Amino acid sequence: MIEHAYLIPLIPLAASLLVLFGGKEDPHSPMPWVAIGAMAVCLGLSWTIFQGAASGALALPYERNWEWFSFATTLGGKSFIYAMPVGVLIDAPAAVLLVVVSLVSLMVQVYSVSYMHGDPRYKRYFAFVSFFTAAMLGLVVSSNLLVTFACWELMGLCSYLLIGFWFERPGPCEAQKKAFMTTKLGDSGLYVALLLLYAKTGSFQLSQIRLFFEHGYMPAAVATAAALGLLLGAAGKSAQAPLFIWLPDAMEGPTPGSALIHAATMVAAGILLVAKTYFVFLASPVAMEAAAWLGLLTAFLAAAMALVSYDIKRVLAFSTISQLGFMMCALGVGGFTAGLFHLTTHAFFKALLFLGAGSIIHAVHTNDMRLMGGLSKKMPVTFLTMLAAVLAIAGVPGFSGYYSKDMILGAVWEHNRLMFGLLAFTALMTAFYMFRLFFLTFWGEGRDHDRHHHAHESPGLITAPLLVLALLAVFSGFGLSRGHLVERLLPKPVAAHPAAETAQAAPRPEQSAAPEAARAHPADHAHPIHHQEAEMPAPLASAVVALVLGAIGLAFLLYRGPTYPIADLLKSRLRPAFALLDRRWYLDDVFLALAALSDRVAALAFWIDANVIDRVFVDGWGLLTRVFAEIGNALDVHLVDSAVDGVGGLAADLGAGLRALVVDGQVQVYLAYAAVFGLAAAMLLML
Amino acid sequence: MLSLITWAPLAGALIVLMLPKEKERAIQAVSFAAAGVSLLASIALLAPFDGGSAAMQFVERCAWIPSLNIQYFLGVDGLSLPLVLLTTLMSFIALIGSLGIKTRLKEYFFWFLLLEVGMLGVFCALDLVLFYVFWELTLVPMYFLIGIWGGPRKEFAAIKFFLYTLSGSVFMLLAILALYFRAVPHTFDILELMRAQAGWDPRFQSLVFLGLYFGVAIKIPAFPFHTWLPLAHVEAPTPISVILAAVLLKMGVYGLLRLCYQIVPAGFRWFLPALVLIAVVNIVYGALCAMAQTDMKKMVAYSSVNHMGYCLLGIAGMSAAGFAGAVLQMINHGVITGALFLLVGVIYDRAHTRDLSAFGGLALKLPVYAGLMMLASFASLGLPGLSGFVGEFLCFLGAFPSWKWQTVISVLGVIATAAFFLRMIQKVFLGALNEKWAGLQDMTTRELVSVLPLAALMIWFGVYPKWPLDLMNATLARMLGQ
Repeated sequence: MIEHAYLIPLIPLAASLLVLFGGKEDPHSPMPWVAIGAMAVCLGLSWTIFQGAASGALALPYERNWEWFSFATTLGGKSFIYAMPVGVLIDAPAAVLLVVVSLVSLMVQVYSVSYMHGDPRYKRYFAFVSFFTAAMLGLVVSSNLLVTFACWELMGLCSYLLIGFWFERPGPCEAQKKAFMTTKLGDSGLYVALLLLYAKTGSFQLSQIRLFFEHGYMPAAVATAAALGLLLGAAGKSAQAPLFIWLPDAMEGPTPGSALIHAATMVAAGILLVAKTYFVFLASPVAMEAAAWLGLLTAFLAAAMALVSYDIKRVLAFSTISQLGFMMCALGVGGFTAGLFHLTTHAFFKALLFLGAGSIIHAVHTNDMRLMGGLSKKMPVTFLTMLAAVLAIAGVPGFSGYYSKDMILGAVWEHNRLMFGLLAFTALMTAFYMFRLFFLTFWGEGRDHDRHHHAHESPGLITAPLLVLALLAVFSGFGLSRGHLVERLLPKPVAAHPAAETAQAAPRPEQSAAPEAARAHPADHAHPIHHQEAEMPAPLASAVVALVLGAIGLAFLLYRGPTYPIADLLKSRLRPAFALLDRRWYLDDVFLALAALSDRVAALAFWIDANVIDRVFVDGWGLLTRVFAEIGNALDVHLVDSAVDGVGGLAADLGAGLRALVVDGQVQVYLAYAAVFGLAAAMLLML
Repeated sequence: MLSLITWAPLAGALIVLMLPKEKERAIQAVSFAAAGVSLLASIALLAPFDGGSAAMQFVERCAWIPSLNIQYFLGVDGLSLPLVLLTTLMSFIALIGSLGIKTRLKEYFFWFLLLEVGMLGVFCALDLVLFYVFWELTLVPMYFLIGIWGGPRKEFAAIKFFLYTLSGSVFMLLAILALYFRAVPHTFDILELMRAQAGWDPRFQSLVFLGLYFGVAIKIPAFPFHTWLPLAHVEAPTPISVILAAVLLKMGVYGLLRLCYQIVPAGFRWFLPALVLIAVVNIVYGALCAMAQTDMKKMVAYSSVNHMGYCLLGIAGMSAAGFAGAVLQMINHGVITGALFLLVGVIYDRAHTRDLSAFGGLALKLPVYAGLMMLASFASLGLPGLSGFVGEFLCFLGAFPSWKWQTVISVLGVIATAAFFLRMIQKVFLGALNEKWAGLQDMTTRELVSVLPLAALMIWFGVYPKWPLDLMNATLARMLGQ
């Protein structure tokens, strides 16, 4: 099957075009099932590859390249034609992510059939979702950094289109622009990293760049610069501080679209990028440390914001940012396995949380948790599946999030004790705010009687995906960590061993031009795989679990209702802190100020253009010509100067004459004029 | 063959001149036939063209003014052939757009075809005198096309365009004469001059470079000589804006590569630090000026300043990748910006305004138009998968090894490009429908026929840019050779 792996992104791409252009837009169009069918095929393909990877029957990594286009290039003073490859590179982590992405996308699409039913742009929504998934799958399998970048940017486009799906309203329009611009800012880092890596290695192909690193040819400073560029890119897409500002607003789009963005596609891309280029990070301790602290900062800032928000989708958005921070931190401290493991489990429970939230919003027609409450009896399936998800994200033992978060904390413990303390505290905050959300929505009695009265369980097409994802949210952690499967599937790449081999195996750019040379080096990835991840000491791990349960208990005490005396008291006593979190650390205001500033600068630039540059260089030029012409007449000039005068003066005369001509232009006059002009030019030349 | 391509529009122009002006259909038919012959003939060149060779091909050569050693000398290589194709294609597309012209048809089509002759000649000519004649030949028709069929300030825009570009040409003429007298034996033959330059001292080369540069910089337009462009674009009728952006600016970049780089390389190298600075200013400052616009057409015009900056940056990198990027960017910018001007024309024809804030929610009413406009905008802002990205990327790739910080600043400039296109999309197409425009009709067949081929090219060259690159690779590798 793996030789057809290139089909995995192409199938949803084709489906998306078919859905977009096939048939008429109709709120009851059957076209969405085309997209769903395509995604099911994708999932089947991905699953066979995953099984092969899990059982060890498949020789990974698998790489296959085709020539895409070639361009002339110059490296080291020599010009030659570089053949840009396009192809697939599938290693075990990619095999895992293929399943995660296509499975979550499939669930989201099935759910959307019911959720988006009756929307005037029903068909278009599925085309966008398919395209989005295709871009993400392309990113997972791409063997080449340029293709990776292309998929990356196309995902930016898709998020733009999905967030602004209801573009009649002002909210989504602003949100989509903000998302695109903020991620674009991050993308410039990736762009520069790409240029840098090519300038140094002469290749875009990941396996070749990796060889270059593994042979120790990359200067540390360049590696650091490239890694920081990649980190900036990842920070934009994966919503790290301070670029996370776009993600909370991204919920302006349809809720299942948010589920896709938050779980399977957009935000996972940044983490995946770091994982794909992990060898670059391993070559730069500085960049690793930066990633770790950035992740930690993000995790903390976002968790704090989630403590005070009453908008259910917004709390989930903050939790996504915070969990992404956990992943980034894990990757930064060298917990490769832990970071990607958490990406996997998070994809399941976060998709579930968003889809569950969508089900709730569908029932009560509001995002405000203050107007909910007591929904457990009204929506039992949503209630139970959300409970599974909340337990998973809180890190309660037995549920998926526990396994991956435990592994992350283990890796961080090993690396830096202070960092561990802060991250563990953030984990407690996570448990608290998630159960705050849970109690506010499901517990006690309905606070808005009308809404509560009309609330009802969602139809089967909505609850079925919830049930599937709930099973995964419960069991995926246990299933993957059994028998060290996760360490086998997501093995940490080993750091480069500088100068271990002699220089003769340097990847020459000329070689990279040959497509057949593109097969992965057998040494690639072929490191011993039963690498044991770092762990916390057992008492510490138990203490963390106890504290998590304590945080849940605290959330129960504060938010079980029907009144919230302690929470209200805290809010009145800590007003400035609450305001700070409510305003999202004022980062949005900084962003808005920057946008306003750029408008000011633009206006200034244009003013200069119209009033200075134009005056000096056009009007001044004209003046100069006349002055020269007069000087020229006064002086005895040689041949070259007389040509200047001739043409300069001619120009002035012509201008004056032409202005008159334009008014009553007759063809004959123009012709005569053209002849005179031509003659004059010819005469000048004959001089 | 090159003569056929170059002169077919002239034949058409002469026939148009002889037709009575009431026969509007016939005038249009003749024009289409003439431009069509050029287009088909230029496409027919592709089959026999050897992309693996860096040599001039389809050479036609004979003496013209033997006493001065002036020749009628045409030929194309991987640098000029793509531009010839761009010219014939965009001229044909602009002719389709010209079907909306209602006044003084005969003169219009006459000047249009004459303009096409000049543009094609510039890219084909290999003798400097011939080159210069064609170069100047584009001025006069453009002057009338803007001055008669333009907008409210057409006369002013036309005269400004004419005088400014003419004054640049004067310096170019000086440089050409200097080259002629320096070469032994005296010659205007571009290929001869390329061989002869090795013996010239850098001081002379730098002077000649400056002369040539003034000529091309105004055309490109390179900062600070760009201010004629927004005005000319705003006042020009739609099809002429298309030609202006798609082809005329390319004459400048082509001149920079063919004359400045190939004939006086030492002068070119001397100027490089300044050139890269100009490129960065074009990119960042052009994008900022575009951001400040409220008129859609002026915004697109400033985006041209921004995009020509990418070309300059790629060229300043002195690497084959940058040159490839510059040439590809010329083609892609021609196609994309041509489409953008056509599309701005579509809305102007209906609403008689181009004010960004006058619209809103048009995507609800004009889905096809909105889709095409978004496609062209995203292509222009460099979204991978659409053609604008490939050229831009190669420009950066070529410039980066030589000019690290300058390239990084330019990459940041791309963000500003995205900003003004997204703002335009938001203001015009998104939000609630402005009820004033509830009666607008979506694009007509004629408008679709002119835009769809360009849209197809944007996707084709974005997804699979192999074909245009293969045309130019050998030539560019050779230009940067050794």
